[in-house]
Amino acid sequence: MQFFGGTSEVTLSPSVPSSIGTGPLGSNAYMLYLFNRNGVCLLYKEWHRPLKTLDSNQDQKLMFGLLFSLKSFTAKMDPTRVEKGNLGVPLLPGEGCSFHCFRTNTYKLSFMESPSGIKIILVTHPKSKDHRENLRYIYNLYVGNVVKNPLYVPGTAIKCELFNTSLDQYIQTSI
Amino acid sequence: MQNAELFTLTYGAIVRQLLTDLEDVDEVNKQLDQMGYNIGIRLIDEFLAKSNVSRCVNFKETAEVIAKVGFKMFLGITATVTNWDVDGSSCSLVLEDNPLVDFVELPDMCQGLYYCNVLSGVIRGALEMVSMKTEVTWVRDMLRGDDAYELRLKLLKQVPEEYPYKDDE
Amino acid sequence: MGREVSESCIDALITEMVSSYCNRFYVNKPEVSARRIEAIGYQVGIQLSERYTVERPRFSEHLEAIKFICKEFWSELFKKQIDNLKTNHKGTFVLQDNRFQWLTHMSINASAETTDSSQQEPHSPNSTTLDANLLQATSMHLYFPCGIIRGALSNLGIPCAVSADASNLPACSFVIRIKA
Repeated sequence: MQFFGGTSEVTLSPSVPSSIGTGPLGSNAYMLYLFNRNGVCLLYKEWHRPLKTLDSNQDQKLMFGLLFSLKSFTAKMDPTRVEKGNLGVPLLPGEGCSFHCFRTNTYKLSFMESPSGIKIILVTHPKSKDHRENLRYIYNLYVGNVVKNPLYVPGTAIKCELFNTSLDQYIQTSI
Repeated sequence: MQNAELFTLTYGAIVRQLLTDLEDVDEVNKQLDQMGYNIGIRLIDEFLAKSNVSRCVNFKETAEVIAKVGFKMFLGITATVTNWDVDGSSCSLVLEDNPLVDFVELPDMCQGLYYCNVLSGVIRGALEMVSMKTEVTWVRDMLRGDDAYELRLKLLKQVPEEYPYKDDE
Repeated sequence: MGREVSESCIDALITEMVSSYCNRFYVNKPEVSARRIEAIGYQVGIQLSERYTVERPRFSEHLEAIKFICKEFWSELFKKQIDNLKTNHKGTFVLQDNRFQWLTHMSINASAETTDSSQQEPHSPNSTTLDANLLQATSMHLYFPCGIIRGALSNLGIPCAVSADASNLPACSFVIRIKA
């Protein structure tokens, strides 16, 4: 697997190619993934993604792998901590430092993980703001409309209309 | 928050119906624990979302948070954490007050019933979702004549995150 | 008695009770699960009605008792009254709650919203059976409140049958048929 190769460069103030568009209704959101602690993709949504090169399974697996490796790398490189495992040694959830976003010249990826291992990934326009509050809000939407939905079976793909509508609405008005 | 009456009576009615349907006290204990576990794995996310707790890595801290914040949030009571063992891997949660048992008296036929078993299941389920495999057992039970409710929490292991897919798939 | 617990406790307990009966105890016997869930509600209804009618004179008419269910009883449970009451004056009453608390978190599939555009057939062959399953799952959650209403009225000396319709979430209509 090659996570840092290719054309994406991790940089703090990317120059944005003029060809980058925004999603429908002016939202900055490109796509969103929601994984549970077992790596099951409970939800994938996209609002703006012209380029589709992979089948969705493969795409989700790559995204999960990217985060998994990145977490491990960021913890390993943490200059402030004495105790850190070797690269590749599994971490306990919440152990070590955590990253919350990275940016390339074409997109920004924001990430949150709950102690229960729910991972929410939001991919947006590279110049969009800090999304930590938004991710927390989406976690709350997930709790209110999915976890508390008596018809939802934990660990299965999310198909709740209430969640879909409120998420869409939130993304379009707040991202 | 809402009046606890409906909750207490509903729980009582479920236990009674299970005793009728399953006809075996041990099986009822088992099913109450399983129901609790299933509730726990859902409730944990609501707890985390509402409490804003962002990491649960340390077992000692987590036990305190359950006792002080968790019990308060859901049942309106607090528990005391005591009796830590030397290596910090097991402790007791003591409840002096317990909304599950208002209006309850166990008839003689229910010897062996752990009436509150749902509670131990909830804690086990919730902790498992934050990567802590535990064993939760009742040590004291007021319905059995003890002076308090005491749950023993034993941390069996903390499960690290594994890459969930096989390579080359 | 003033003791309070979070709404989530009761929500979670009911969800898990329904799921235990339907998916573990009586798999593939939905009518047995339904009877057991209704029976649990019935017990709860009797006890609640007993508590809420202490120090209250007996109801002389059916309508009075039904109004009690719509107002005081419903308010104790859900902090709101039934929104609409209809009757045919022949022993049938329809109680409508426009936003029934136990259905507010419930929602089912909006099928077209999923990931793969290749799967976007609006009426795939499976969708009807899927809908039927979901409909049944939804209705399983209604036996408990139906049982509560039947228990409460039975405790007031009014034997009846109660059914419910929730085709318009989160609204719910309960139909009470009093037995002559």
